[in-house]
Amino acid sequence: MDLWGISYAISDILMHIVYWIFSGLLGLLPDPLGGFFDGIGLWFVSPGVIAFITMLLEALIVIIVALLNVIILIWVERKVLARIMDSRGPFYVGPLGFFQNIADGAKLFVKQIIIPKKADKFGYQIAPIIFVGSSLLILAAIPLSADFAVKDATGATIPGGILFAFAVFAIAPFSILVAGWSENNKYTLIGGMRSAAQMMSYEIPMLLTVASVFLLVGSFSFGDVVNAQQNIWFGIPLFLGLILFIACMIAEVERIPFDLPEAEAELVEGWTTEYCGMRFGFFMFTEYLRGYAGCGIATALFLGGWIGPDFLPGEIWFLIKAYIVFVVFVFIRGALPRIRTDQILDLGWKRLLPLAVLNLLIAATFKILGWF
Amino acid sequence: MAEMWINMGPQHPMTHGLWNLRIKVDGEVITDAMPEIGYLHRGMEKIFENKTYVQIGPLTDRLCYGSSFTWNHLYCMTVEKLMGLEIPERAKWIRVMAIELQRIASHLMWLAAYAADLGLLTGFVWAMRDREIFLDLLQALSGSRLTYNYARIGGVAADLPPDFERDCLRAVDYFERKLKEHENLYNGSKIFKMRTVGIGILKREEAINLGVTGPTLRGSNAKIDIRKDQPYEVYDEIDFEVACHTDCDCWARYIVRMTEMKESCKIIRQTLQKMPKGPVRVKTPMLAPSGDAIGVVEDPRGEGMMYLIGDGTDRPYRLKVRSPLFVTLSAAKPMLLGYKVADVVAIMGSIDVCMGETDR
Amino acid sequence: MPEQTCERRREKSSLTGLVIKPLWTTFVQTVRNSFGGRPNTVLYPHEKLVLPPRYRGKHALSFTRCIGCGQCVDICPNECMWMKKIEDPVLGKIERPGVDYSRCLFCGLCVEICPTDALLMTDQYELSSTDRQGLRYEPEALRNDDYPVREPKDAILVPGLDVTKCKGHEECVKACPVKCITMVEVEKTGKRIPTIDLSVCTHCGKCVEACPEKALTMTKKLIVMFERPMPVFNLDNCTGCGACVRACPADVIYLLEMPGTGKKSADGKVGKDKKRAVFALEKCIGCGRCAKACRFGALEMVPESKYREAQAAPKPKGKPKKGGKKE
Repeated sequence: MDLWGISYAISDILMHIVYWIFSGLLGLLPDPLGGFFDGIGLWFVSPGVIAFITMLLEALIVIIVALLNVIILIWVERKVLARIMDSRGPFYVGPLGFFQNIADGAKLFVKQIIIPKKADKFGYQIAPIIFVGSSLLILAAIPLSADFAVKDATGATIPGGILFAFAVFAIAPFSILVAGWSENNKYTLIGGMRSAAQMMSYEIPMLLTVASVFLLVGSFSFGDVVNAQQNIWFGIPLFLGLILFIACMIAEVERIPFDLPEAEAELVEGWTTEYCGMRFGFFMFTEYLRGYAGCGIATALFLGGWIGPDFLPGEIWFLIKAYIVFVVFVFIRGALPRIRTDQILDLGWKRLLPLAVLNLLIAATFKILGWF
Repeated sequence: MAEMWINMGPQHPMTHGLWNLRIKVDGEVITDAMPEIGYLHRGMEKIFENKTYVQIGPLTDRLCYGSSFTWNHLYCMTVEKLMGLEIPERAKWIRVMAIELQRIASHLMWLAAYAADLGLLTGFVWAMRDREIFLDLLQALSGSRLTYNYARIGGVAADLPPDFERDCLRAVDYFERKLKEHENLYNGSKIFKMRTVGIGILKREEAINLGVTGPTLRGSNAKIDIRKDQPYEVYDEIDFEVACHTDCDCWARYIVRMTEMKESCKIIRQTLQKMPKGPVRVKTPMLAPSGDAIGVVEDPRGEGMMYLIGDGTDRPYRLKVRSPLFVTLSAAKPMLLGYKVADVVAIMGSIDVCMGETDR
Repeated sequence: MPEQTCERRREKSSLTGLVIKPLWTTFVQTVRNSFGGRPNTVLYPHEKLVLPPRYRGKHALSFTRCIGCGQCVDICPNECMWMKKIEDPVLGKIERPGVDYSRCLFCGLCVEICPTDALLMTDQYELSSTDRQGLRYEPEALRNDDYPVREPKDAILVPGLDVTKCKGHEECVKACPVKCITMVEVEKTGKRIPTIDLSVCTHCGKCVEACPEKALTMTKKLIVMFERPMPVFNLDNCTGCGACVRACPADVIYLLEMPGTGKKSADGKVGKDKKRAVFALEKCIGCGRCAKACRFGALEMVPESKYREAQAAPKPKGKPKKGGKKE
């Protein structure tokens, strides 16, 4: 499935329809300028416009795929978490409760929007936009297969894809700080600061782990990393790296055991307390989006990406592996209590950072031995 | 940041009940604490003065709804002392069995709430699931899941239903196996230990001076239990150990409660074996003589006491309730000083707050 | 803390020591839930739990067994019941209780005190309503004459006396094997009626067979485990109005004439004899309606254990003053 190919086909059809509307329909009208509508119609079918519309459609398709995946992910989480807890999860709306999330989203739309009086209006409104926008942007960089990726004219994927993904990942702490501060609430301020500190301190072991993969591959492009795993997935020699990456990703996405910033028992909802309705929905939704992005990156870096036997297309293998990583996330959520903030930072700086360096050492050893 | 007062509550998911905890924080460190209670005050002691002895029975269930049979039984024991009433042997054994079933259910509810506070949602659901078994047993016995109204002045309301001994033994066996699973989830989890070991230390002398009782005191290295020191009903004929732990922190209180649950299983088995046959109730007298009586029991949360003054009529002159959590909450300050805001949840959760009996 | 230090392992596996044991426990449990049986959830409202027989839910009232004594209304701790006067086509003019479920505690005391097992509790708990009036259940809404009594109260058989039929033959005294019957003189009527000591009575029924007037009948009396009061009668205040006779639901009180008490008018005519109330206390259930109905202060309810001494004590003339007890 070629992303550019599909988008091109769709935009071609669309533009030809527009051309037909202009030239065919409107052209039947009396025409003083002679060929006025015809000319406009022809402009719509020119290659530049079609290419532009194709790019828009590509972005739209990437977003739609991501949204679909996120909805499925939330459903998977609720069902698996329920089974861990000896209950059933959603079962009523749709087959096996599949449409429960849509129902919950619709419910969030109809809630009353209350903005605190003394809240900073601009910050309050822009924080969700930055948060959601930056998280959606990560997905542009993650390809689902060799073809289903955002490519340039020569057919190569983004050269610094991994770097780009992590750079955009790191915009989120900024928006969390803005959100926590602009709500004019002591608790959210504390929550926002904790969250920013946690995310910042777990970026470093994560990037060191990514650096160890880079050592073995030599390129930051997703396509190259996955192609280098044809013989053996990187998760097997760099097993420590895989564990570390998963742990850091859980901290980045703020799930239990690292979710003290939004601990329900203490700070109600942490830094999202004062958000109502769909704005809150955006925050919750984006957490799962970032979880999906994290799982996707982990799959691409360590678990072989879209490489698999031929009876299923590469995209499906990618999704299956990403979902398995996510189920591991859900199990960890079900089994562990919350860690206190200072203990989280303790863990991040004092334990994970040395282990990440150790991992880098192992990767360097492998490279020197010439096995990669 | 300068020192500021933070209100935790009264609307707060942590507080398990309706009370306000004001803490003075300097950054993240707590420098002062002041619990504020009274949001659930219903004037129960005044209501009791206007109702007959029989009518007060169902209302004492609502004192602490987490362990309601304890208060029901305490009230009946106090009135029986005032009236000088002797109850049948079988009634005493049934009462002890129901008390221990209630103790397990109450501790399981504490465990569920504590796990939920610390973020271990699985522990919450598992503890509630196991609590359902005991609630079902008590429901078969009395007819209701939370407020039993099972003890009467003069014995218990009715005898054990058919097949109850078999079901009760099966439940206790099942629960002892399940308790090991729970322990794996908590004791084996280093994160749980990180959150509870060394947190909320209450030294032994301080605890005794402040009047704290129950698992909070026994976790502070003081082996004081009313069931052994001032035995009531048939506790002097039952063989069990008093749970006690030397570390004075939240971990110690957790271990004390888990051990108490195991001991309760032992006690239930012994009561089912040793229970004599016979009637379970004598007729409840209408009037109580003038005088006063005191009843003391070991509530799952500490030492519960009732002081009853009768005046020769069918209504009490005064019924005073001493609730253990009233005292323990007042002693919250030494437990909180010097720790971080994130520890408040762990410390307050380990005291097992139930506002029904604190505020009455 | 000592435990923490002795569990410290190598740096590498301290991360897994955090995670492996609880993960394994949850994993085993998940597998057991999914493949080794059903999860513990009951999918309400598609599935419902089976409730034990003693469950205390909505009431079921048997109109035929209920005698309208009102003890359930008196004992309710929350004052959530009331008596309603009903005209029933079969049963006539009756009084039956209704329940207000917005106040009901579901404690079951009303069921325990019912002397005829007429008020029972079913296993219905789905009682929601959209307005407050919907929670106020009238007696007709609670009516269920066929609801089975799961745990009936213990009953004793009591020889109940119909005072109007008794002619004083004293056959019953002779027939009783344990000598629990004594003939007691009813003041000013010149009649003697038998009084049965229920603590000695063996319920053999010989007195019933012996009576030539068929004044004694064996009636079932349910044992209520709360001590109930009994009425103490003060003859000086009784005017023979018969209010207590009409109020008593258990057929205990009868009116007997006192011969020679008719009013003598100026022209020598003698009016009707005054009447007085006579009590056959074996059947008394202790509801207290007679004392509430008497406007002349002739009746006072005294607990069973204190009845003998109150009966023997000198009684005041005139209605006793109100007050004393807190209300």
